[in-house]
Amino acid sequence: MSRRESRLRAFAAKVRGFLRRHRQDWEFDHEIQEHLQLLAERFVVAQGMSREDAAAAARRQFGNTTLLKEDRREMQTFLRLAALWQDWRYALRVLWRSPGFSATAIVTLALAIGANTAIFSVVNAVLLQPLPYPQPDRLVALMRSYPERNYWSISVPKFVVYREHTKVFESIAAYDFAGPGINLTGGDRPEQVKGIHASAGYFDVFGAPITLGRLYTDEEDRPGGPHVAVISNGLWRGRFGADPTLVGRTVRLSGDPYQIIGVLGPGFKSDPPADIWLPLQADPDSTDQGQYLRAAARMRPEVTLGQAQAAMKLASEEFRRKFPDWMDSHESATAVPLRDTVVSGVRPALLILLGAVGFVLLIACANVANLLLARATLRRRELAIRASMGAGRWRIVSQLLTESLLLSLTGGALGLFIGFVGLHALLAIEPVSLPRIGEHGAELTLDSRVLLYTLLVSLFTAILFGLIPAISATREDLNATLRESGARSGGGFRQNKTRSLLVVTQMAMALILLVGAALMIRTFEALRSVRPGFDGHNVLTMEMALSGSRFEKTAGVAQTLREVEQRVGAVPGVEAVAGACCLPLTGGPDLPFAIVGRGPAFSSYSGDEQWRNVSAQYFQVFHIPVLRGRVFTPRDDAGSAPVALINEAMAKQFWQNEDPIGAQLLIGHGLAPEFEDAPRQIVGVVGDIRDYGLNNEPAPIMYVPEAQVPDGISALDNRLVPFVWAVRTKVAPFSLIAEIQQEVRAASGGLAVAHVRSMEQVVGESTARGDFNTMLIAIFAAVALLLAAIGVYGLMAYAVQQRTQEIGIRMALGANPEKVRKMVVWQGMRLAVIGVAIGVVAALGLTRFMAGLVYHVKTWDPSVFAAVAVLLSAVASLAAYIPARRASQVDPVVALRYQ
Amino acid sequence: MDVKKSEVLQGTLDLMILKTLEALGPLHGFGIARRIEQVSRDVLQLNEGTVYTSLLRLQQQGWITAEWGTSENNRKAKFYSITKRGQKQLELETKNWERISGVIGRVLRLEAERES
Repeated sequence: MSRRESRLRAFAAKVRGFLRRHRQDWEFDHEIQEHLQLLAERFVVAQGMSREDAAAAARRQFGNTTLLKEDRREMQTFLRLAALWQDWRYALRVLWRSPGFSATAIVTLALAIGANTAIFSVVNAVLLQPLPYPQPDRLVALMRSYPERNYWSISVPKFVVYREHTKVFESIAAYDFAGPGINLTGGDRPEQVKGIHASAGYFDVFGAPITLGRLYTDEEDRPGGPHVAVISNGLWRGRFGADPTLVGRTVRLSGDPYQIIGVLGPGFKSDPPADIWLPLQADPDSTDQGQYLRAAARMRPEVTLGQAQAAMKLASEEFRRKFPDWMDSHESATAVPLRDTVVSGVRPALLILLGAVGFVLLIACANVANLLLARATLRRRELAIRASMGAGRWRIVSQLLTESLLLSLTGGALGLFIGFVGLHALLAIEPVSLPRIGEHGAELTLDSRVLLYTLLVSLFTAILFGLIPAISATREDLNATLRESGARSGGGFRQNKTRSLLVVTQMAMALILLVGAALMIRTFEALRSVRPGFDGHNVLTMEMALSGSRFEKTAGVAQTLREVEQRVGAVPGVEAVAGACCLPLTGGPDLPFAIVGRGPAFSSYSGDEQWRNVSAQYFQVFHIPVLRGRVFTPRDDAGSAPVALINEAMAKQFWQNEDPIGAQLLIGHGLAPEFEDAPRQIVGVVGDIRDYGLNNEPAPIMYVPEAQVPDGISALDNRLVPFVWAVRTKVAPFSLIAEIQQEVRAASGGLAVAHVRSMEQVVGESTARGDFNTMLIAIFAAVALLLAAIGVYGLMAYAVQQRTQEIGIRMALGANPEKVRKMVVWQGMRLAVIGVAIGVVAALGLTRFMAGLVYHVKTWDPSVFAAVAVLLSAVASLAAYIPARRASQVDPVVALRYQ
Repeated sequence: MDVKKSEVLQGTLDLMILKTLEALGPLHGFGIARRIEQVSRDVLQLNEGTVYTSLLRLQQQGWITAEWGTSENNRKAKFYSITKRGQKQLELETKNWERISGVIGRVLRLEAERES
């Protein structure tokens, strides 16, 4: 029989033995007893011994029965496994018997692990989950590339060239940003849904499944091609009742007839979200230089990202050769993994949050480790006795680690619950729009990855906080421990050193978190005190898709605008009504311009700045001040002289010491014939507004009256973005929603109104993500502060208890309570100060990573560091003061009797 | 010559037990101990407990089986008997033993010749 087979048999026997170990124990005992009895009887009969002598002689001849039984167990069952099981039961008993300790440890761990689970589940959903498309790793976004950054928007001619000159892609597509929305009229209610104009390759790139009908072809995706549409499964079910005969039918999309040719499979999610896909039908000979398309591609299986990037670079050089005037001198093109485009904006903040909760976990570990160290001192006799009974060091360490594991796993299970429920509660209170987490975090799920993460964190935590106490507890000199009279003889010097080290670490980490939180709070305040340049109070805003042939000319828009102004203006409580391309704070298009009569700054333009088409009352609605000249009036219409307004930033930049009023702007000249504009006279200068987030300085803006916008720009605008209505009310804006909405709808001929928000909400949403981060980091920092305070308190309370006798002697010898108190507080403070000092250095190194999250405060702001250091020290001294006071109240007589 | 009672080698004890069971049929632990005591004529002294260790080992390898039965004095006892595989193993071990003991014997004689 081979050695291997022999081992295998032994193993099988062990498995059987393990399962039947109790019965076997009993049988074996019986067998041995029988044997001993028979031997003894023989001694009695053969040698005439007394019963006692015979029994003794029998035992001698038989040998050590205990050893034999141990041998048997080792052979027949898994001793370690049995021991492990024993450890678990023992640990459960031990922890059950000190509920105060266990509860403290478990709750501490649950909070820390819960915070980690919560943040990780967000990281998981946002950063780790693959994109919901087949072979998502092969998807790339095609971008314009500049030395400083990339832009995910390209023009039609670039797309055409890139499509023709790259061989590395299996499929390639261009599509718009889902634009203003499509009005679904007819049926029982008007509805606005998002639609994407996409080139035919779109469905191949994203591997869109199809349920019904077909997708559109390259032939249909030509200028002048048929009006066909593909719709989402959700829209098919929701609006069309999952009608299987829908395909082939014609529906009106924004007033124009489209034939529905296909329904996509359920679960297909596009980015941006949409329910309707229409052929882009881009003109291959287009000269349109507007960069309003996204491009994405699916790489061939054997192609690497590097190859795709190289191919894009080559394609961009090809484009420059063909159209040297249409490309900036330092512009190129590149391919970026599609996933990066979805998450790149939120990654730094999420990683910082993950780091922050990591610190919370470490602090919690330090706390529990400290608790365990204190307990280990109390259990020294127990451990020493076990050791003297023959338990090996490893056996005791494993016993103590089992206790740690039990604590951390219970804490982990509880933490999973706390984290998950807490996160959803937070998101419900403070909704934040993160990509890929769904409405109120609906798509944050407890998948296997989150569960595994929590389990690993729990195990890691157990080792982290359990190993040091376990090892230090078993390092004791057994004899010394046993000889000492009681449990209170105190931990050795080394143990207190370990505990002090833990407290110092805690302090340092708490300081880092507090600095982070303080910086975020300063940013929060700074953003609140920023003057945005407009007044959003009592302003109601809504969006409307002016899509369809009716709005391909400016006149159609101007007509609707007049009607809305009239009807809504007549609603009691309404002060002013405006229509515009965009709301303040939400950005908008930019266009190149020339100042008539001035030499061009570069090429034929003087500059390229923000451009806004607004109606006359826009400035009144938002209380944007007129600094010089006048604002638009209803008379600035298509028939009157072209006019423009500029803001102060633009006046400063282009007319430093001169008066801009009366100067003429030629906007967008030479871009495309349909964008051609006449020279406009500047008739006024208005105040600056913050248009790209409260944390960005106002940029130069030119305003053009809505009625004077060139037709081509109107058509483009209405295809790309929704039109916005803004209404200033004398009363709370939401009280007028129904009436205003009804009037707007009636005035526009039954178009749907979407995205109704107060301007204050718009402002709030612009900072929501930052506010959410601030809140989370502040919560984490508060937890860290609390845990660190508990850490200091625990250590000092323990030290005082240990030294009761010494303090008693001091007091008996005449030390006054004041002095004792100071001594204890100073000891605690010394640790705190060391921790703070280390923390300051570490924080200086770490807060750099927050540079992108803070506003109006430097990441090394001395006042923040000073304030946090003072706060932490104050809390630490308070935490040390409580035990100090107890120390100063020690009664010498009692203390000296105390063992 | 003062014969010191030699300690029984582990493998040897296994072999002896197998042989005993082959020769005498099913036996309980006490019986096996008696038989070995008798055969070895008190030359080999063993802690009888080790018989049980050996029995366990043999069981694990499937060379013997155990069954509860009633002993001669009407008591419940575990009876061990050799299996087919055990018999094969015994044959193998016996041959091995003979070979090795032959070799060792030759070596020892060689030493003795030189000394004389």
